[in-house]
Amino acid sequence: MAIVGVSSEGGYGFANGMLLACRAMGFAGEILPVNPKGGTFAGQTIFHSLEEIPGDIDFAVIAVPAPAVPEALEACRRKGAAGAEVLTAGFGETGTPEGRVLEQQIREVAARGIRVVGPNCFGIYCPASGLTLLPGAGLSRETGPVGFLSQSGGMSIDLAHLGGWMGLRFSKVISFGNGADLREAELLRYLADDPETGVIAMYVEGVADGSDFFQAIREAALRKPVVVLKGGLSEAGGRAVVGHTASMGGSRAIWSGVLRQANATRVESLEELAQACLAFSHLPARVFRGISAVGGGGALGAAAGDAAEACGITLPAFSPDLRDRIEAILPRPGSSAANPIDVANPFVPPAVLGQVLRLAAEDTRVGLQVLISLLYHYKSQARAVGVAVADITPCTELAETVAAAAADTGKPVVMVLPDLMRGPEDLDLAGMMAGAREEFTGRGVPVFGAIGEALRAIGHVSAYYERRLPREES
Amino acid sequence: MTADRVALVARLLAQAAARGQTNLAEHEAKQVLAAYGLPVTREILVTSREDVGPAAAAVGYPVALKASSPDIPHKSEQGLVLLGLADEPAALAAYDAVATALARRPGGVLIQEMVAGRRELALGLVRDPDFGPCVMFGLGGIFTEILGDAVFRRAPLELADAHDMMEEIRSRRILEAVRGIPAADRGTLAEMLMSLGQIGLDHQAVAEIDLNPVILAGARPVIADALIVLR
Repeated sequence: MAIVGVSSEGGYGFANGMLLACRAMGFAGEILPVNPKGGTFAGQTIFHSLEEIPGDIDFAVIAVPAPAVPEALEACRRKGAAGAEVLTAGFGETGTPEGRVLEQQIREVAARGIRVVGPNCFGIYCPASGLTLLPGAGLSRETGPVGFLSQSGGMSIDLAHLGGWMGLRFSKVISFGNGADLREAELLRYLADDPETGVIAMYVEGVADGSDFFQAIREAALRKPVVVLKGGLSEAGGRAVVGHTASMGGSRAIWSGVLRQANATRVESLEELAQACLAFSHLPARVFRGISAVGGGGALGAAAGDAAEACGITLPAFSPDLRDRIEAILPRPGSSAANPIDVANPFVPPAVLGQVLRLAAEDTRVGLQVLISLLYHYKSQARAVGVAVADITPCTELAETVAAAAADTGKPVVMVLPDLMRGPEDLDLAGMMAGAREEFTGRGVPVFGAIGEALRAIGHVSAYYERRLPREES
Repeated sequence: MTADRVALVARLLAQAAARGQTNLAEHEAKQVLAAYGLPVTREILVTSREDVGPAAAAVGYPVALKASSPDIPHKSEQGLVLLGLADEPAALAAYDAVATALARRPGGVLIQEMVAGRRELALGLVRDPDFGPCVMFGLGGIFTEILGDAVFRRAPLELADAHDMMEEIRSRRILEAVRGIPAADRGTLAEMLMSLGQIGLDHQAVAEIDLNPVILAGARPVIADALIVLR
């Protein structure tokens, strides 16, 4: 892999930053820095030109000033590169004639036989090879099912970081910027065909060809979930409208309808996108209509019930017999097993919670269980006995118990770990909570921060499969 | 038959454009819709006072009487829609008022059946810069603007898309049986939505279609008013 534009003068230019980041990631191939001025950087000799590199290259990162990009790209093509990512900005997005001409020149080189991501992008993150986005030196090398396409470079690196601690693992993250050559529709088809990708997510502002995009997204969504965050939605204001229909049809309403027509999952924020991807990654391809909710405190259960209703999910009331059997193992008084199940306090031992989950799973109307655990309350216990909170909180035991209950009952468990103590005096909790999250996600149990977020994500999974499965059967 | 309707409507649209019209008068719009099988009101266009009585008798009292002119796309705002006219003297008085207001503008006076129904829907078509012709379904009458409860799909629509639109509006229960009124005929509504999309695909000259209200006469949807805007 050539990185064109690495400077011997150091600094944090895109090319130098990319070289260091890929090295930190343990990039699987050889990194070949290029700059006409030559010199060395970070212990590597900089080639004066692409021609000077012995043998062919596979791929190139281009981060030279915009006017020099078409020539550098052509040199990469002649050197045998199948593709290149152009990080440089200053093309069509500037709106200037010079910018548009340069972008057209990129397209012309691409048409001669090299595929281009960008310009004006942060590149590609591919955990399998260790190729990374700017400035992502610390991203995971573990491959997973989520493929993300983003018109925005910032969104791509943000999701890579956000997903990292949430337990999302990526197949590829592609920041395609201006999309001079490769863009939304073709990249969607690529991810739809990509066997590593099980869930496609995308951030899109505008599309080059709405009809082609629609066909691509609809076909992709027949095969795997497609989660879409649309940026730059505005109402029809300002447009000259004669009839009522046009005044009702701002881009928000049209996009909403078109995405539903394609059975894509529409989300309103990057956080919701990440949560939807987490649910799609970890939950089986099913429709979840009935769930149980288990937590300590009546208000948690009420909140679960309210949030469930808004997501088209119900909490079926348990039979008196099942209720009695669950209540028999819970602390008294204060507990209740009507569904939602109030376990009375946050310190119920993991083994008991596991039994509760196994009993609740006996109700055939329950397809999934949500366990809300207020782990931060262990801080008061830790303080009382004078130990670190991470040493007293039974995270591993709880995660093992929950994962086993889910596996044995065939009914997935979703964890909700609220994190309400985040002040400077509670940084020990931040560490404990992060560790707890890893214990669960590492065992395939998705973790959310709030019950509403969990149920919304489960609702997305159900809505997708509810609308896809009938079409598959017909 | 399909080729016939495309040619017929293309001719109507071309004639209107040749006359310099930017939209179709209601009666012209209804001819376009009827050609695609959409259920429109029974109506007769009259241009002279002596035709009012026979036309109203043929439609059947009570009747509605409206200006039908490409120059007046929003006639109800101008008081040029008179409803529930029970007999010939009432129809003639309404005709005189509308004809005076029309003055020398093109078009005529439409004598139309009164559609009995309390539920009003809105159907339509717009052209989106990204997705081309898109079909709308929502609440009709004054609630279209007040509640903004409308959903869109890109043309062409599949049958499942059309049915899904009816499920997606917040006021979806308006289509169910309520207080002794039967449930809406969703099959016909679905065909209407698909046909609207087809008109948009067949005729680039159509910029926008606005069917509001579409009244549910019992279960049966009837297009009571229609506007077609030309490009």
